[in-house]
Amino acid sequence: MNTPAANDSAPSLGDLGFSPEQTQGSAADQAQLDKRSHMLKIHQRWGLATTVPMIATLLVAPSNKSNTSARTLHAVLGGITGDMYFTTAFYAIRAPRIPGTKDKGPIRVHKILAWIHGPGMILTPILGAMADEQRNAGQKVHGIASFHGPVASITIAAYLASILAVSIKF
Amino acid sequence: MNWKLIVAVTVLTLPAIGHADGHWGLESSTLTYHISHPLHQIDGISHAARGQGTCHEGQCDFLIAAPVKSFDSGDSNRDLHMLQVTRGGQYPIVTVRTRLPESSSASSAISADLDIQFAGQTVHYANVRLEQTGEGKLRRITGIVPSTVSDFKIDPPSLLAVPIKNEMPVKVEMTWRSE
Repeated sequence: MNTPAANDSAPSLGDLGFSPEQTQGSAADQAQLDKRSHMLKIHQRWGLATTVPMIATLLVAPSNKSNTSARTLHAVLGGITGDMYFTTAFYAIRAPRIPGTKDKGPIRVHKILAWIHGPGMILTPILGAMADEQRNAGQKVHGIASFHGPVASITIAAYLASILAVSIKF
Repeated sequence: MNWKLIVAVTVLTLPAIGHADGHWGLESSTLTYHISHPLHQIDGISHAARGQGTCHEGQCDFLIAAPVKSFDSGDSNRDLHMLQVTRGGQYPIVTVRTRLPESSSASSAISADLDIQFAGQTVHYANVRLEQTGEGKLRRITGIVPSTVSDFKIDPPSLLAVPIKNEMPVKVEMTWRSE
């Protein structure tokens, strides 16, 4: 019927004003996109997996009258969470940036929240270690160490929100 | 002296004889792909298509092309993933070619055979229904290309281990001007 066919009078990409640079792809550009996607896929998988020890750490959070073994379990799970968290972050930070791209949409929220849970993941274990030291010295947790719980809660909330931001359309 | 005049006239008229009879230019366009996922319904829109049609001996050849990276889904991260899975680094332009009878510019419905080059593949879509409105020099063409992800051998992207649906219809809205 109306078979498209290339003939001498048919327009070409050059006729449309596209330059050869615009029409010819590059294996290097594709390789960069592939590497970026690969690293962000790993980031996504590690990020989801990190929620497991993170929530477990929260669930075994010791009370005021906790014993040493409960605090040790909490610290070990917290350590695993931290290792997995920073592995997750590594893959996002090291993924190649594509020139000319401006962040738009949920990814902006995802990245802004990283400025909350990132420092939180550094502060939480420091405050936890301080609190543990005070407990071991037979003291009631006091001073800045008493913020361990609230900082951890904010960190977890920001972390889960950053996952939701890129998973569910609000 | 006369032979010089004959040569001059011949040189000046030959290109005109060989030139196409009619010409169409794409004035504006909106191309929208739609993909579905249980958590998202996504529309990626491009207004960056360029197009031309040249008519000769009652047939018009059209070419429409748009940079793959010009499609905007409202999420830059998703758009970069789209660019990657569609091999947009290697094949940065999506092109559509079709040939239509010149007389179809007067029809309200057009059945077009499209050759679409995208993601390193060329796929033929037969009898795609397009609606045409307008008069004078302007024509507005609308329609939906029933493309699928598998047509172009694209690995379907997934979110939370769930892949997108195979259907990827592309809504076409174009305004052409006869030149």
